[in-house]
Amino acid sequence: MRYRIVMLLTIVLGALLQQFLPTWPLFGGIKPPILAALTLYYALRRNAGEMWLAVFAAALLQDGLDLGSFGPALIAFPVIGLLANRIRNEVFADGIFTQLFFGAVIGLFTTLIALFVYAVTGQRPLFFGLAVLRLVSSVLLGMATLPVVSQIVNRLEVFIPERRGYGWQ
Amino acid sequence: MYAVAAALLLAVVFVPLPSLTLKSKGAVRGTIAGAERGTSGIWQWFTEAAAAVRGIGGAVERNRELSQELVRTQAELNKLSDVEADNVRLRRAFDFFHQKPFGMVPCDVVSRNISGWWSSVRIGKGRKHGIQENQAVISPDGLVGRTTEVTAFASEVLLVSDPACRVSAKLKRVDVFGLVRGAGTTLSGQPKARIEFINKDVEIRVNDEVVTSGLGAFPKGVHIGYINKVHRDASGLFQHAELIPRATVGLLDYVFVVSEAQKEPAR
Repeated sequence: MRYRIVMLLTIVLGALLQQFLPTWPLFGGIKPPILAALTLYYALRRNAGEMWLAVFAAALLQDGLDLGSFGPALIAFPVIGLLANRIRNEVFADGIFTQLFFGAVIGLFTTLIALFVYAVTGQRPLFFGLAVLRLVSSVLLGMATLPVVSQIVNRLEVFIPERRGYGWQ
Repeated sequence: MYAVAAALLLAVVFVPLPSLTLKSKGAVRGTIAGAERGTSGIWQWFTEAAAAVRGIGGAVERNRELSQELVRTQAELNKLSDVEADNVRLRRAFDFFHQKPFGMVPCDVVSRNISGWWSSVRIGKGRKHGIQENQAVISPDGLVGRTTEVTAFASEVLLVSDPACRVSAKLKRVDVFGLVRGAGTTLSGQPKARIEFINKDVEIRVNDEVVTSGLGAFPKGVHIGYINKVHRDASGLFQHAELIPRATVGLLDYVFVVSEAQKEPAR
């Protein structure tokens, strides 16, 4: 129970931080995918129940605090959680190259899903150049965000006694 | 089971249910509103502290600049006091001095957009404070945007620079109507918008002022920005121009929502 509460609080803090971080025009206005990184972090280290809790908390916060209809995160985060949870015993989640690779993948995937949802629902005008800039930026931001988020949450969890539930350990 | 969950998810995403979506978002935003305000305060404190620390290094230079500025301002003030006296006399003559064409609700900006896909900010007041959707949001620098997705205690403000924000406007110098539409931001971070559907026979000049026309939900005569580039298409019926919406440049701390409910008749 304690782990779940800390996990939910971490996700809420992640959402607040993602909101307050400024956007960089050079990155197409895309924000660092902190909530997607947290989803992946918990999916790679927790059991299925806790993974789904993290997935839906993060997705509801991301889409609930964003403008427009529910969608981009509600589609992307469950897919990220499900796939990562399945392969969690086969990857070294704390390896820097693993994190860089997965960071790039989640950045690209969440932006692709957002582009798809906004294109289908017509909520955002799509310009080819801006879309490409955002895709490239999301890869870079994902690679930068996931290792940092993983380090911070790892250090945070050290303070919680009776550490358990890590699938790959 | 996964197929059912996926179908349900796709239905949530692609079947438009605005009222249900707004209720769900209201619940999420209401839950996090307190934390948002607290974080907003802490963030502002850090920003101000960082600005203060940055200022220490250049204090001497800044002091010199301020001294020069003071002398220049005093000279200007002497000149302006005569103009102000005339201004006050004329205002009294036309009985405009106490005129308040619309009521305003002051609001703190509590957060910015979480994904970066929208140019928007969230303000800490909502339906409970008399705010409704599609009301104009202004700041001392001019038009900021319009309210959208108003929940009980918070409202989203779609900035003028967002492509989804459209405002009926006019060029003040020539009194010609057009439509201002957001155009995102430049790579240097400058918000931009464009005024469209202007008759191609009208001469638009750089630095022409663009104000709201008064049509639609926006009050009349609110400053939007100045023209900085004109595009003329010889083959088309219309021309368009780019402008920088000044009120959305930089970080916004507080804004005013123009409230129709508090509208007072002009005397």
